[in-house]
Amino acid sequence: MNDLGNVGKYYWHYLKRYWRGFIVSILLIAFSTWCIVVAPTYLGRAVEQLTTYLQQWGSPATRGQASLGSFHHTLITYILLYLGDASSIFIASLILARVTAYSTGTMRVGLFRKLQRMRVQYFDTHRDGDILARFTSDLDNIFNAMNQALLEILLSVAQFVGLLLVMFPQSPTMAWITMASTPIALIVAGVVMHKASGAVNQQQDDIGRLNGYINEQITGQKVLITNGLQQDSLKGFAGYNAKVRQSSLTGQIWSGILNPLMQGMSLLNTAIVIFFGSWYALNGSLSTGAALALVVVFVNYAQQYYQPIMSLTSLYGMIQLAITGARRVDEVRQQPEEVKPVNGQELTAIQDGLKIDDVRFSYLPGKEILHGVTINVHRGEMVALVGPTGSGKTTVMNLMNRFYDVDQGTITIDGTDLRKFDLDSLRENVGIVLQEPQLFTGTIADNIRYGDPQAGMDRVIAAAKQANIHDFIVGLPDGYDTRVSDEQSVFSAGQKQLMSIARTILTNPRLLILDEATSNVDTVTEARIQAAMDNVIQGRTSFVIAHRLKTILNADKIVVLKDGQIIEQGNHQALLAENGFYAELYRNQMVFE
Amino acid sequence: MKVLMPYFHRYRRDVWLALLSVIVLVFATLWQPRLLQVVMEAIIKNDQQTVFQQGLYLLGLAVLGIIGGVVNTIYSARVALGVATDLRADLYAHVQSLAYADVEEFSTSNLVVRMTNDINQVQQIVMAGFQQITRIPLLFIGALILALITMPQQWWVILLMMVIILAVSGLAVRRMTTYFAQTQQDIENVNTVARENLMGIRVVKSFVQETHEIGKFSQASDALTAVTAKIGYWFAILMPAFFLTANLAVGTAVYIVGQNITTHPAYLAAITSFISYLMQILFAVINGGFLMTFASRAFISLGRIGEVLDKRPSMTYVAGDAAPVPGDVTFNHVTFTYPGDDHPTLKDVSFTLSAGHMLGIVGATGSGKTTLAQLIARLYDPDSGTITVGGVDVRQLPEKALRATVAYVLQRSTLFSGTISGNLRQVEPDASPSHMQWAANIAQASEFIERLPQTYDAPVEERSQNFSGGQQQRLAITRGVIAHPKILILDDATSALDARSEKLVQEALNRDLKGTTTVVIAEKISSIINADQILVLDHGQVAGVGTHSELVAHNAIYQAIYRTQKAREEVPE
Repeated sequence: MNDLGNVGKYYWHYLKRYWRGFIVSILLIAFSTWCIVVAPTYLGRAVEQLTTYLQQWGSPATRGQASLGSFHHTLITYILLYLGDASSIFIASLILARVTAYSTGTMRVGLFRKLQRMRVQYFDTHRDGDILARFTSDLDNIFNAMNQALLEILLSVAQFVGLLLVMFPQSPTMAWITMASTPIALIVAGVVMHKASGAVNQQQDDIGRLNGYINEQITGQKVLITNGLQQDSLKGFAGYNAKVRQSSLTGQIWSGILNPLMQGMSLLNTAIVIFFGSWYALNGSLSTGAALALVVVFVNYAQQYYQPIMSLTSLYGMIQLAITGARRVDEVRQQPEEVKPVNGQELTAIQDGLKIDDVRFSYLPGKEILHGVTINVHRGEMVALVGPTGSGKTTVMNLMNRFYDVDQGTITIDGTDLRKFDLDSLRENVGIVLQEPQLFTGTIADNIRYGDPQAGMDRVIAAAKQANIHDFIVGLPDGYDTRVSDEQSVFSAGQKQLMSIARTILTNPRLLILDEATSNVDTVTEARIQAAMDNVIQGRTSFVIAHRLKTILNADKIVVLKDGQIIEQGNHQALLAENGFYAELYRNQMVFE
Repeated sequence: MKVLMPYFHRYRRDVWLALLSVIVLVFATLWQPRLLQVVMEAIIKNDQQTVFQQGLYLLGLAVLGIIGGVVNTIYSARVALGVATDLRADLYAHVQSLAYADVEEFSTSNLVVRMTNDINQVQQIVMAGFQQITRIPLLFIGALILALITMPQQWWVILLMMVIILAVSGLAVRRMTTYFAQTQQDIENVNTVARENLMGIRVVKSFVQETHEIGKFSQASDALTAVTAKIGYWFAILMPAFFLTANLAVGTAVYIVGQNITTHPAYLAAITSFISYLMQILFAVINGGFLMTFASRAFISLGRIGEVLDKRPSMTYVAGDAAPVPGDVTFNHVTFTYPGDDHPTLKDVSFTLSAGHMLGIVGATGSGKTTLAQLIARLYDPDSGTITVGGVDVRQLPEKALRATVAYVLQRSTLFSGTISGNLRQVEPDASPSHMQWAANIAQASEFIERLPQTYDAPVEERSQNFSGGQQQRLAITRGVIAHPKILILDDATSALDARSEKLVQEALNRDLKGTTTVVIAEKISSIINADQILVLDHGQVAGVGTHSELVAHNAIYQAIYRTQKAREEVPE
């Protein structure tokens, strides 16, 4: 229930600014409902007046009095009522369409803004696809529900209340008859919806498993073919497919049966109203005209009576999805944000150097990754981090520009704790080149000047030259205006890496962190990247996370990490002389004559 | 539609019952106003007997309608699920019969979408088809006929109403179609910005570009918001316009009845039923419009499924027994171009590899190393030239014989979800625990497998993500060797192993699989330094063949690769 409260708060947060629109819409809807429920009485009156006219016209004595004048008036009122209904619904729909579109838009941008403020930890522990789904299917579900349900719910409630208000004064007996089947309908609907939600959950689970199987098998088609496993794969598929068939059948029947059942109930209700209505009309003290009118009016009401129940039950699934959607988006809204120091110090230059002092860190509580790491770096030095996978190399990088904060110990620049610096100022001075170069849709020039969108072409070209990629770019038909997009990967992994190096050069960072690319690049291209990296490192304080030792032979200091601890430290020669882990690693990687 | 016919035929009993029940339901819906008219006439005549009798009919009719609706749902669901599951099974079996080139032509993700989303679309439209699509035309025609019977001379009122409704919706749909296309584009833009932002969140943060990103996103999002609002405005016109038109038609009809009441007094009792029929016509037209847009999506899906089913496998195998052939391999002037590519990836490649020998393949990224290996496993056929395995053209080898001869281990040949032993037994069905251990020993996998609580029965998660990269590769090699293949291809299959483990794997291969021919593709010279023969590929051509010492002495390309990996001289040995 607390959960639903959060969902309610979520909608309230985004919808409260439209309160004027809602009030106007509700008034309009109330008016239109009044029109709709009152209109049938005019139809009834018209029939009654025609009956009277016919009777007067039928006997020669009263033929002279017979007139259609009042009948015409009734009809004009009838049409005016529907005109009022249509125009008020039209305006209410316009308002609600606007509210729906713009509030979903605000939700979408709000979600994105929130993500920009959140910690890297969230992105590391959630799959991109799952976060993206909140932009696509969850916000979509919210939009669809508001788009269709908002008006529909208001209308249904108004119509229901309106009908009750108008039926009872006319004939309490007939009103009770019209309502008689409601409890049965509600019970039936409740049971069916309960059954359906269970069956549909089971169905979705089974479909999820089947889709997972198909996805895994087809993605591994090469393995299937080269091992001749196609028949095995078919056997596995048949099991999942049969399960889906069974549970979907149950799911589809229970969820599909509600609508025909409610329509059937509506038919039954109309039949009941006609049956008892006509009996009541004949046995009461009503004139023929009034009796006819009563039946006409209440048949109309009986048909209308089930409309709200039917729309609400058919909207049920949609509303469920919208609640789930809001819950998932709201979950993101509740996530902690990056901690920014108030009045943080500006970082302008590095005077002495950087010190990592007895740092302990864990991603998950109780699972410490770094167990007291201490590294000293002087200004202008290059430090290389080496070690097997899982030793904590990348973790050290994560701490340097505060993607994560240390648990214990400190990281300081010129004696000032990183957490005392203004976060933006710190990150502007710490440049990173990631293992997987990530470019953005746009031109090559846009990508190189990503860190400083105001940078002129001269700076872009200078950066590209330093990164050894200028010649390649000018060789392209569109040069620096060549579009980069994720669908058409015209660039090789190596070229993307060089562009990302140029992007970092352009911002001229004081401290540089390079995470070396591991795979997808052959050793010759690697040499080109190496040369570019050497250009960037020149004259800067830098950390290199090395996977291939070849690249770091010239480092001022090599730090060997294993299981979160520093086991060796020194330059290449010193470490070789030590003949320990590093020396072994080195001998294993290089070819010797 | 042609695709679905055989399946409908298979479920013809369910199809007929679904259709029959829909007719019952439509009859019940349409006949009710008819009976109402009789009741009204009886009220005018004060005929209690008829009122009572007709009232019972009305109740019976309603019960009949409920039964019709329920039965219809059950059988529609049976048809829909039967058709969808069978179609999916046939599609899956067909994909399994295709050659790898065909699978790549469609792309794997695309095939997955066709087997999941597209089948789901078809299932929904079949279900809706038997529930609605048959009902709506029946309701429309039935209501039209009954309306005309009830008040014949008012045909033009009905016609006018339909013309106005169709004109209004036509106008709106035309505007909305362009907006819908625009929406698709805008949604894609929004998703691209969001996706790239998520993937590059570290880049965004380290370059302090959060504000810039918000700007980009808002721009994309605002465009989407504006166009959805416009679609909303057009929808806002539709429903009120439809109902206003219908109610105007009702008003007109009643007016006409009034004007002619003295000549047609019977129409007095018919007014209510006529209005009911008018409303039924209106609902049929509106729902028909919605279903048409829904159906058009399903037909696109159906087309995409048909496309796969119509694809004939581009590669066939000769029949024959499954006995493996000897492990020697020759390439004789082989040229190969990937389907859809302009330039050949392999050009005139020739070499001979004797059984039991080791061949190393080196070359830059894109030089054709993997392509060459894939041709041995016959994932593709060459444009020209021949490849022989065991002295036989691979195109003349029965599929089972080829698979029993060649084991191919890819860089990312992860295991399937299940258990380790399950994966191994897929390749070697009778593998005993000691046999699995033997294979795992070769791949240097036994030490970590045996530390798992369930050892060889340990679970493998999807994409083998519960194992590290190095462990995945060792498991893949285990699977590769377990069936004692005559030829073992390791396509960069040890890239995540450290040098020591890699050396141990090679030693174990030499010791335990002595007669097996091995083909090793590697980035690291150290992986192939001991090969009997090394093939240097450059832009799809053989740029040199020989042993390591021969190539180091004479081959420029090999020297260039070697130089980048060579240790400096002062290194102590």
